[in-house]
Amino acid sequence: MTKRIRRVIVGLDPLQQSRALLEAAAELAGEMQAELLGLFVENQDLLHFAGLPFAREVGFESATRRALDVGSMERTLRALAKEARQALEAVASPTRVQWSFRVVRGVPAAELLAAAEESDLVIANLEAPPDVPSAVSFRVIRAGDVEALRAALEEAGGGVLVLAGADAVRVGETLRQAAGRGTQGAGHSRRR
Amino acid sequence: MSAADPPENPAAAFSMDLSNHKSGTTRPLAAADLCRRCDPGQFKFKTTDDLEDLAQVLGQARAVNAIEFGVGMGRDGYNMFAMGPEGLGRHTIVRRYLERQVPQREAPSDWCYVYNFATPHKPRAIALPAGRAIRFKEDMARLVEDLRAGIPAAFESTEYRAKQKEIETEFSERQDEAVGAIGERAKQQGIALVRTPAGFGFAPRAGDSVMNPDEFRRLPEAEQQRLEHAISTLQEELESAIHDVPKWRREAQRKLRELNRQVTRAVVNGLIEEMRAEYGELPSVLEYLTGMQEDVLDHVEVFRQPKDAEQPTLFGVPLPVSEIGESFLRRYQVNVLIEHGGTPGAPIVYEDHPTHDNLVGRIEHISQMGALVTDFTLIKAGSLHRANGGYLILDAIKVLTQPLAWEALKRALRSREIRIESLGQMLSLISTVSLDPEPIPLDVKLVVVGPRIIYYLLHAYDPEFSELFKVAVDFEEEIGRAPEADLLYARLIATIARHEKLRPLDAAAVARVIEHGSRNAGDAEKLSMQMRDLNDLLRESDYWAATASRKVIRAEDVQRALDARVERADRVRDRLQEEILRGRLLIDTTGSRAGQVNGLSVTQLGGFSFGIPHRITARVRLGAGKVVDIEREVELGGAIHSKGVLILSGFLSGRYAANKPLSLAASLVFEQSYGGVEGDSASSAELYALLSALADAPLNQSLAVTGSVNQHGAVQAIGGVNEKIEGFFDICRSRGLTGEQGVLIPSANVKNLMLRRDVVEAAAAGRFHIYPVDTVDQGIEILTGVPAGERGASGQFPPGTINFLVEQRLVEFADRTRAFGAPPLAKGRRPHRRP
Repeated sequence: MTKRIRRVIVGLDPLQQSRALLEAAAELAGEMQAELLGLFVENQDLLHFAGLPFAREVGFESATRRALDVGSMERTLRALAKEARQALEAVASPTRVQWSFRVVRGVPAAELLAAAEESDLVIANLEAPPDVPSAVSFRVIRAGDVEALRAALEEAGGGVLVLAGADAVRVGETLRQAAGRGTQGAGHSRRR
Repeated sequence: MSAADPPENPAAAFSMDLSNHKSGTTRPLAAADLCRRCDPGQFKFKTTDDLEDLAQVLGQARAVNAIEFGVGMGRDGYNMFAMGPEGLGRHTIVRRYLERQVPQREAPSDWCYVYNFATPHKPRAIALPAGRAIRFKEDMARLVEDLRAGIPAAFESTEYRAKQKEIETEFSERQDEAVGAIGERAKQQGIALVRTPAGFGFAPRAGDSVMNPDEFRRLPEAEQQRLEHAISTLQEELESAIHDVPKWRREAQRKLRELNRQVTRAVVNGLIEEMRAEYGELPSVLEYLTGMQEDVLDHVEVFRQPKDAEQPTLFGVPLPVSEIGESFLRRYQVNVLIEHGGTPGAPIVYEDHPTHDNLVGRIEHISQMGALVTDFTLIKAGSLHRANGGYLILDAIKVLTQPLAWEALKRALRSREIRIESLGQMLSLISTVSLDPEPIPLDVKLVVVGPRIIYYLLHAYDPEFSELFKVAVDFEEEIGRAPEADLLYARLIATIARHEKLRPLDAAAVARVIEHGSRNAGDAEKLSMQMRDLNDLLRESDYWAATASRKVIRAEDVQRALDARVERADRVRDRLQEEILRGRLLIDTTGSRAGQVNGLSVTQLGGFSFGIPHRITARVRLGAGKVVDIEREVELGGAIHSKGVLILSGFLSGRYAANKPLSLAASLVFEQSYGGVEGDSASSAELYALLSALADAPLNQSLAVTGSVNQHGAVQAIGGVNEKIEGFFDICRSRGLTGEQGVLIPSANVKNLMLRRDVVEAAAAGRFHIYPVDTVDQGIEILTGVPAGERGASGQFPPGTINFLVEQRLVEFADRTRAFGAPPLAKGRRPHRRP
C-alpha cells in the first residue's frame, strides 16, 4: 500500500448525506495515515434557481408547490452544512484521523477537483465523470470497481477520484476492499 | 375479682336418700384421698433414657382417627378442622400424620404463567411435570437469544439483500421514470429539472447548469413569459406524478415486510421446531409455541435492533432508555409460579400469615414513568399454589381476622381453582393496568386449626362451612389415669426429653410430672394433655437441674420448676393474702358467728389460678318472702350466681313451713367484693349463712365452704376445688393452724383432689380437715356442731335441731305478718270478687 496519498477529500453533498460514505472515507484515511477533508459544496445551480422570480419547489413528499428565494435557500444550505460538519465530526473525532471541514460555493465536481491536489484521493457521490480540468490529472474510478481502484492507488498513489453515486454502502465496501480490509458489511465494521 | 366456677360433672348423681341421713357422722377425708400420688416404685426404669420413644399419639384416638379419615378421603369437601384449646400439640400431630402421606403421593405439577398472544391481559397458565418448569424457562430464554442472533444474521445474508435491493430499485426506478420523463420533456423546452433539498424545481437552462437570474432578466420579455408558462405546466405535471409516489412507497414497504417475514420464518421455524420436538408431549406448550411463532414473525423488527444501539438524546441530554426491544422481549419470558424440582412427594405448607394475597397469590406492579404497570411476569404465587397437590395448614383465627381471606379461601375450595384477584382491584381502590390470569386448578387438602368455639360458630353461622369442612378433628384435653397410662405418659415424657435434648428424668421426677399432669387436669383420675405446658415444665426442670449441676432431672428439680412458676406469677395472690392477714379484708379463721361464713372463690390471672376466701353474710327479718342478693342488685353478680341464690328461696320455701307464707326478708352479700362474682359455687355457703341467721346458730369460722346446692338441699360439684382449699389453707397456716380448721367440699369433688403436699401433710397430721359433704344438713352440722334434724313421725323437726329452729323462726315470721294484719303481698293488690 502506497503512503503517498496525503489527503482524502470527501464530498459532502447537500442533497444526499451519507454517513456510510463518511465512515468509509474516515477509515480509509486512518488506514493510509492521511488527512480527511470534508468539502461541502453549496451547489450554485440551487442558488441560481432560487434567484429566479418564479422559483417554485415541488415538495417531494407533499407534492405541493412552494415559493423559494435566495435567502431561504442560503439558510437551508447553511443548516445542511452545519449538519454535514457535525456528521463529519461524529465520524472522525473518535478516530485518530486529522480532519477539517470547508464550505465552498460552485459546481460540486469542479469545486472538488479544484480543491484537490495530485496526492489526494477524492470521494464524491457523483453519478457521471465530470470534466477534469487540464491543470490536474485524475483517474476516475467508479464505485464497485475494486480492481481499478486498487491498481490506481498502487500506481499513482494519488490523483484518484472515486465516483460513489448514490450507493454509499457499495463505495464503502469498495474502499475497504481496496485497502485490503476484507468484505465485511458496513454495519459490523464500526463495532469497537 | 371474678370467681369462675365452670360447673363440672353437672350430671353428678345424687341418689342417696336424704331423709335417712344420720347426723354427725361426717368424717374428714384421709390424707391419702387428698392427692393421688404417682408411685415411682411402679416404674421399672431408672431414668427416661431407658424408655423407648412413644410412636403413637397419646390419648388422641378420636382426633387421630379423624385425621386418618380426612387424609384418606379423596372426595370434595373433606377438609379438616382441628379443634381444641391451645397447647395440645394440634399442629404437631396434624403435621406428623400429613408427613406420613407425603412419600405416598407424587409431586404435583409445576406451574408457569406465559404471555397470552391472543388476549394479552389474560396470561396463560401452563402445567409441566414436576421439575420441568425451570428448564422450560431456560429453554425459552435460550430460544429468544437464538432468535436475536439468528434473525439479524438472516437479514445480513446476500440473498436477503439482493431481494431487498430489488424492491428498493423497483420503487426508485418507478419514481425516477416518472420524474425523469418530465425532466426529459423539460430539457426539450430548454428547462432544467433541479433537485432541491426538499423536492424538485424547474429553471431555465444555460448549458449544463441553471440559468443565472441576471441572465434570465436579460432575455426578451416573450421568452421570459414562455419559460415561465412552460415551467408552470411542468410543475403541475410533476405534482401529479409525485402524487402517486407515496402509494408506490407503501407498496414497496408491504413487499419488504413480506420479504422480512419470509426470511424470518425460516429462522423462527427452525428454532421453534427444535423446542417442539423437546416438548412434544405437552400440548399446552406446543400451543404456546405456535402462538409465539406467529408473534415473532409479526414483530421481526424488534429482533433486528442491535443490542447496543445509540442512546437517544434530546438537545444533547441522554433520554432515559425505554429499551423498547428489551421490554418487548419480556413477553417471551416464562414466569415460573411454582416448581417442585427438588422436593419429592406432596407439599405440606403452613401459612402463618394468611392474608388474602398470601393465600391466592398477587399481581405486583412496577412504576414506569410514574405509572403503575404490570405484566404476567409479576404474578406471584400464594400458599394455595405452593400447597396445590398436597396439604395446607392454616390457623382459623389468623385466616378469619384477615380481610377477605376466608371468603377467598372458600371460593378457591368451592370452585377448585385458584383465581388471582388483587385486593385493591376487588375493592376498586386501585385503577391501573390489570391482569386477569387464567385460573389454576386446585387440588388441596386443607387443615384449619382453631379453638372449638370457632368451629361451632362457623358451623352455626357460615352456611358453606359444613360443606367444605366435613371432618372435625376434635382433640382431647385429658386422658384417663389408669396404671398403664402412667407408663405411657412416662414414655411421652422420655420422648419429649430426648427430642428437646433435655437431661433424662429419674422415676421420681417422672412421677412428680405425672402428678402435676393430674393436678393440671384438675382431676385425680385424669392426666392433662396440655403438651405445651408439659414441654415447658420439662424444659424448666432441666434448667433447674442444670443450675444444681445434675446430670439427671430429679423430683426436686420438677418441684422447684413448679414452685418457681408460682413465685413468678403469685404477686396478686400475695397481695390479697396480705390484705387478709393485715385485717383489711375481714376473714375470721377462729371462733364462731351467726349469719357469717367463709366462702371460697378462684381467680385466674395470666394462666395462674388461685383461691381466696370471702366473707359471706346473711341478715334476716320479717318481710315479703324475698331473698335479696345484693351482688345482683348492684349488677356485680353474674346470671349463674343469681340462679344459685334463687334456688335458696326454692329450698327454704320447699322445706320449711310449707303451709304458711314465706314471710322472710333476707339479704346476702359477698363482703368486700368490689368486682364481679360469677358462678354458683358459693350457693351452699350462702345457704349456711342464711340458715345460721334464721336459726341464730353460730357458724364455726375455722371452716370454709364451697359447693353449689339444689332445691332439695343436695350439695353439688364445683370447679377449682384444689385452688380453693389451698387458698383457705394458706391463710390459716399464716395465722397458725389450730387443728380445727378445714374446708367443706362437695363429695363429688373428692375425685378432683390433687392437693399440694403441705396441705396433705397438715391433713395427715390432723391439723387441717377436708370434709366431703353430700347435703346441706351434713354441712350445717359440721359448721354449727348442732344436729340438723329430720322430721319425725309427727312431721315435726326434733326440738333443738337447726331445722327445728329455722322452721320455728319462719313460722314466727308468718304468724307475725298475719298479726300485723297486712297480707304479705305487694301493695295495691287485692283479691277480686267475681260478680
